[in-house]
Amino acid sequence: MTQNSTGPAIPLRQFGKSSARISALGFGGHHLGDAADEPTAVRLIQEAVDGGITFYDNCWEYHRGKSEIWMGNGLKGRRDKVFLMTKVCTHGRDADLAMQMLEQSLRRLQTDHLDLWQIHGVAFDNDPELFIRHNGAAEALHTAKQQGKVRFVGFTGHKDPNIHLKMLNTGFPFDAVQMPLNAFDSQFLSFEKQVLPELNTRGIAVLGMKPINGHGEPVTKGILTAQEALRYAMSLPVTTTITGIDKPEVLQQNLAVAQGFQPMSPQEMQALRDRVRDQAADGRFEMYKLSLKFDNPEARMAHQFPLDMQSVEVKEMLQATKNTGHPFPKTS
Amino acid sequence: MQHGHDSTRRRFLKGAAIVSAATVSKGMSLVQSQSNISAARQGPNDSVPHRPLGHTGIQVSAMALGGYHLGSTRDQQEANEIVARAMAAGINFFDNAWDYHDGHSEEVVGNALKGKRADAVIMTKVCTHGRGKDVAMKQLEQSLRRLQTDYLDLWQIHEVIYENDPDLIFAAGGAAEALLQAKQQGKVRAIGFTGHKDPRIHLKMLSHNFPFDTVQMPLNCLDATFRSFEVQVLPEANKRDLAVLGMKSLGGSGEIVINGAATAQEALRYAMSLPVASTISGVDSMQVLEQNLTVAAGLKPMSAQEMQALRDHCKTYAADGRFELFKVTKKYDGKVGREQHHSPTPEELPA
Repeated sequence: MTQNSTGPAIPLRQFGKSSARISALGFGGHHLGDAADEPTAVRLIQEAVDGGITFYDNCWEYHRGKSEIWMGNGLKGRRDKVFLMTKVCTHGRDADLAMQMLEQSLRRLQTDHLDLWQIHGVAFDNDPELFIRHNGAAEALHTAKQQGKVRFVGFTGHKDPNIHLKMLNTGFPFDAVQMPLNAFDSQFLSFEKQVLPELNTRGIAVLGMKPINGHGEPVTKGILTAQEALRYAMSLPVTTTITGIDKPEVLQQNLAVAQGFQPMSPQEMQALRDRVRDQAADGRFEMYKLSLKFDNPEARMAHQFPLDMQSVEVKEMLQATKNTGHPFPKTS
Repeated sequence: MQHGHDSTRRRFLKGAAIVSAATVSKGMSLVQSQSNISAARQGPNDSVPHRPLGHTGIQVSAMALGGYHLGSTRDQQEANEIVARAMAAGINFFDNAWDYHDGHSEEVVGNALKGKRADAVIMTKVCTHGRGKDVAMKQLEQSLRRLQTDYLDLWQIHEVIYENDPDLIFAAGGAAEALLQAKQQGKVRAIGFTGHKDPRIHLKMLSHNFPFDTVQMPLNCLDATFRSFEVQVLPEANKRDLAVLGMKSLGGSGEIVINGAATAQEALRYAMSLPVASTISGVDSMQVLEQNLTVAAGLKPMSAQEMQALRDHCKTYAADGRFELFKVTKKYDGKVGREQHHSPTPEELPA
């Protein structure tokens, strides 16, 4: 863990075994699509770059492309200053589909290469087998890297540490792995306990997500503050912590923690774990591990699980077929 | 079992076309002829076989009537007819739970068994979901009153599906103490627990070496190759001489059948061919009962080869849990348990 100790900069940390360095706070792409409008989103990105955030997260299926397009516009003229990641949503389907999605992502993000390309939403027990099979998405990661379209490759998932371990055991040479890391996770079906040490041992870059449990539920309920939650996640041995940012206030709140970041002591971390223990024990604040709700429509369709008609993505998908000429139709 | 799957089940019946008109009319004529000889059993070859309920000395039918669905029948009359027909066919085992339809299921079964209590093995479940012994004992009294009986043959802890449930159940003053007390007081003859989520949680429960008589779990031809109760829990329960009660033989709401992984007959026969005391199947119409009886009456268990062939056939459907939504989503997690564990309500988070 390298840290920039001068001034209010966000510390940069080494990305796995590579020489690349990324900011300890990452900008989450899903929430960007929830911004009030495109100018707001563009401004958020610009201010985040100016504030020292160099890691940008996205995904082919976030808001049916809106998140990538808005981020692409936000990064215009700033692409060289950032480390750009997006994810591919094959969910077990073929390498060809993955390559097609890659081309779409590059176009939307207005770039000729990604710094990191990850398999999105590894959430089902057989995803690792489908990934590594002949003509599976593993082949696309390999090809894209060879073609210079992506520098690094990885995977992400929010469901089950065992599925992450299965992915690692496919033997594929991942550069990065993303997973939920927060004080609640530390004692419930725990990525922190089961996966994080394994990644550290292997020298794989760790991208933490859901530092405030996805949508800030424990903060809303008054169990901890956003600052405590974010500090806990960023104090773990991770490369970056990705947080969703949809408003200027949230950006400022997160920058305030990340700029000149001071990690928690082990004692402070343990005290926080102890404080949330009772509420952590049954997963009530980690529904992404227990419910289908957080599995995106592409994942559900690929695995033939029922769609959630209330999900933003499903509504956007249905509205998009109305051909009103608006690229991102209002869903309400 | 969760609320609101009735329409799904009906759709499955229609779509699957597994109940031929001939089967139904044959079934109906059986009902008519047998209603006149209520005490008579069918011959040994065409009735539902009975098996010992573990070491309890109780004999139960290899198929049990699921209580949730009996609460979904049109009216009491329909439930009465289903229960009478089931008993005439040899079914003596009745499942229920304190929270099914907010008590309606227990009332329906209590009414349907009026005058037949001695011939029935009645189970219901207690829904403390982490709360203490006192809540459990209060629920027991309510269950007894609704079921119109002064004792249960079997009382089980319902829906052990949250990671910390075993800790809460075995904490001082927890529900485990209620099970023992009720047994000592003669209010229940046997005790057990049930859950549909994760074999690990079942094993955690068993690791306490508590004197359970029974354990209930999902057992079907897909479970065999996915987060498998059959592989992980069934042998352990057999080893401990616990009576095993299988459930969700068709995936909970017929998912296995609707989506073509197996026919209802194949799936039921598979579940009933496992080393279990009984397979609990939800029945909300005479049609479903007759469908079940085509398998259960005069049950011919599958051979080991047949079972393996069905497991292999179902493997691809099983691998991601798509038809066992009770394991991988919130869909089947009941209201009372969600309240106690501060999970969103079924309306807020259907799956």
